[in-house]
Amino acid sequence: MGLLTREFERAPCTVEISHCFESLHAHVRFNNGTTVYPGDSVKVHGPEIMAPYGMVVSEDREATIIRASALERLWTRLTGDFEVMELCEFSFSDEVTL
Amino acid sequence: MNIAVKHSADATTVEEGLAIQEANAKFDSKAATDLAMQNTLLTPRFYTTDFDELDAIDVSSVREDWDKLIDQMEADPNKGHFKKNEDWDHVDWEGMEPKLKKEFIDFLVSSCTAEFSGCVLYKEMKRRGNNKDITQLFQLMARDEARHAGFINDALREAGVAVNLGFLTQQKKYTYFRPKFIYYATYLSEKIGYARYITIFRHLEAHPEHRFHPIFKWFQEWCNDEFSHGEAFALLMKTDPKLTSGRNVLWIKFFLTAVYATMYVRDHQRPAFHNALGVDPDWYAHEVFTKTSALSRQIFPITLDIDHPRWQAGLVRLQKANADLAEARAEGGLSGRLRSLGAQMRAAAAFVGLYTIPAKKHALPVSTRMEPAY
Repeated sequence: MGLLTREFERAPCTVEISHCFESLHAHVRFNNGTTVYPGDSVKVHGPEIMAPYGMVVSEDREATIIRASALERLWTRLTGDFEVMELCEFSFSDEVTL
Repeated sequence: MNIAVKHSADATTVEEGLAIQEANAKFDSKAATDLAMQNTLLTPRFYTTDFDELDAIDVSSVREDWDKLIDQMEADPNKGHFKKNEDWDHVDWEGMEPKLKKEFIDFLVSSCTAEFSGCVLYKEMKRRGNNKDITQLFQLMARDEARHAGFINDALREAGVAVNLGFLTQQKKYTYFRPKFIYYATYLSEKIGYARYITIFRHLEAHPEHRFHPIFKWFQEWCNDEFSHGEAFALLMKTDPKLTSGRNVLWIKFFLTAVYATMYVRDHQRPAFHNALGVDPDWYAHEVFTKTSALSRQIFPITLDIDHPRWQAGLVRLQKANADLAEARAEGGLSGRLRSLGAQMRAAAAFVGLYTIPAKKHALPVSTRMEPAY
């Protein structure tokens, strides 16, 4: 990992999307055991995966992981906390007027 | 032909759920109408945290309470609850007053996104962890959040709003939160969520004429899930007394103030919603803060002094500054920029004013666990 350079990495992954009444969820799992770290970006390749209502779709795809540089990783670790309020649920969006 | 189709909300295992979903999909003609729907892209955020620190949690000091809570969640008393039945009355979306409709859809979409993001976060923690107690908890919470999201999604579909889960193929960046901030924020979020839902549920029990949508009838079970998630975070914090003492008390005060203030500001931006429910947002805020404070005494050594004369005045100032800020931003130009700078400074001052109100201190109870009682 470079101080300022980003590295690209390809990884096979499985995308699961459930668009059902009892479970609405979407997850990406890397199949080669790799993990992401603060500041990394992930892009799943291929066309948008759409699950029709009532369906669970699971597809094997390839993803590119753009590894953050050492500096970016440090920055994300230091500043990420400022956004932690996002985890809170307030029922409404932050738009002042709709 | 009469085919008894089992509902996957009744499934016990993931595999059974998937099989039922596939079978049900064949009978789902609604999918055909999807194209005509308004498309709302869900945009959850993606997080990482210190997974080693999570793995290092040792729940043996709270083992008895922990096992009881996990058993209760495993037993899944709400399984099968989140589906429409004869209580789901017809909703007159066409006849709904446009402003109310907008605010109500904002409520549904925001709630759905929040549940969905919670599911993504919990699932990630489950997947990356190695500590069995912790991964089991996060798996159970992810299950509940996905179930809630699915339920809200269904209400949205009725309103002609389809959520789009296509975000996964867009590039997304993983940010980072320290575990303790996740505990404070999610604990409070779950507990205040419980207080918000139960307050509306009880209000509508007394005033059913204000129940303009059937989803409010499901709030009680919904908020009981929120309640037990909060209990789990309380026990997690209990395992490490450092989390709720010393300098961390200042963080706790910060989160309490920020969560209460944000709720106040956001609720006041949705007057038609509260008017339709017959709820005065100031009364509602005070009611929710009172309940949340009573609950959070289980683990936080302080509560905010919400009856202090500076409290309500500070909230009003913050709300005003926030509204002015949006107006100034919309205006643009030099004068808009100056006005927005002024509004930001007023908002910051109002927040500092709220934060510096002396908190009420109290000793922590010996037993942390609570049951929903409102």
